[in-house]
Amino acid sequence: MLVIGIDGATWDIIEPNLDKLENFRKLIQEGKKSTINLSQKPWSPSVWCSMFSGKSPEEHGHRDFVRNGEVVRREDIKVDFIWDILQEKGVSVRVLGVPFVIPPYNFNVDFEFVANGVPVEIGEIEKDLENITEKAEEILSKEKPEVFIVVYTTLDRVCHLHWGEPVVLDMYRKLDEALGRLIKHDKEVIVISDHGFCDYDKAPVRTLPRKTPRGEIKGDHHPDAVLITRNVQYQIKQPEDVFFALKEKYMGGE
Amino acid sequence: MSKGSYTTVSIPVQLAEKIEKRIEGTGFNSVSSYVTYVLRQVLSSLEEKEKKKEAFSKEDEEKVKKRLRALGYID
Repeated sequence: MLVIGIDGATWDIIEPNLDKLENFRKLIQEGKKSTINLSQKPWSPSVWCSMFSGKSPEEHGHRDFVRNGEVVRREDIKVDFIWDILQEKGVSVRVLGVPFVIPPYNFNVDFEFVANGVPVEIGEIEKDLENITEKAEEILSKEKPEVFIVVYTTLDRVCHLHWGEPVVLDMYRKLDEALGRLIKHDKEVIVISDHGFCDYDKAPVRTLPRKTPRGEIKGDHHPDAVLITRNVQYQIKQPEDVFFALKEKYMGGE
Repeated sequence: MSKGSYTTVSIPVQLAEKIEKRIEGTGFNSVSSYVTYVLRQVLSSLEEKEKKKEAFSKEDEEKVKKRLRALGYID
């Protein structure tokens, strides 16, 4: 199974632009689309952690990239992730760039991210997207793992500072191209975001400050996340369900 | 395992023969001592690489925090 996480993707951009986003369109036609209305705060570190541990924020206890002045690491989070569990059962699994920690987390993959996974400038964001896609293609075509999870932070990074600007749609188009390069490698696909995005003043939940040392924050996280599945039977209603979908497929009722 | 005790591992005969040739005239007096030396080198270099990967330098950590601050992820 192929799981593609897209940090910050929203239907508010995808749906009105489906004529320009051919791979999103194709995937929706071949599968099913829905909106996940998050029951937890739309906050990347804890949502990605829930998605792949099957635990709520209260259970896994991971809230922020930095705690008490220190960058939080995988080892600080006392949970087993789906890749730990599947590998234990003999399933071949590769993970590239799950951003519940900084730098984004890899499993059985050797890869370094642009700017440690926090690209801010447009050029950096584009470079990071391309590097990740090349690595993901290499893994899918050469290593062919049973489970491959890859996450892009591209849209989130660009939307924080540029929401409402044409560059946002440009980045969706680049991401759409990347999607096309990956989805041809697997019949079973989950595409999911950890939260949506919206105009800063329209956010139903405030997660970001209005101003940062870099400038004005233009958009904020929205609790409506994107989900597209192709050939996946499990009903995914919240991020945690991705963990259970993978567990059920590869471990049955265990 | 207590210090100084040994165990047996198997390697292909062809590889052992290759090693025998390689250690002729060197300070290694057996295939085992050569294999032990090589494995220690490999493991130590892997451990070094892993340590480097895990540890952010203070400078890198500050750069990351600056970027997270720019995006509004931390105050």
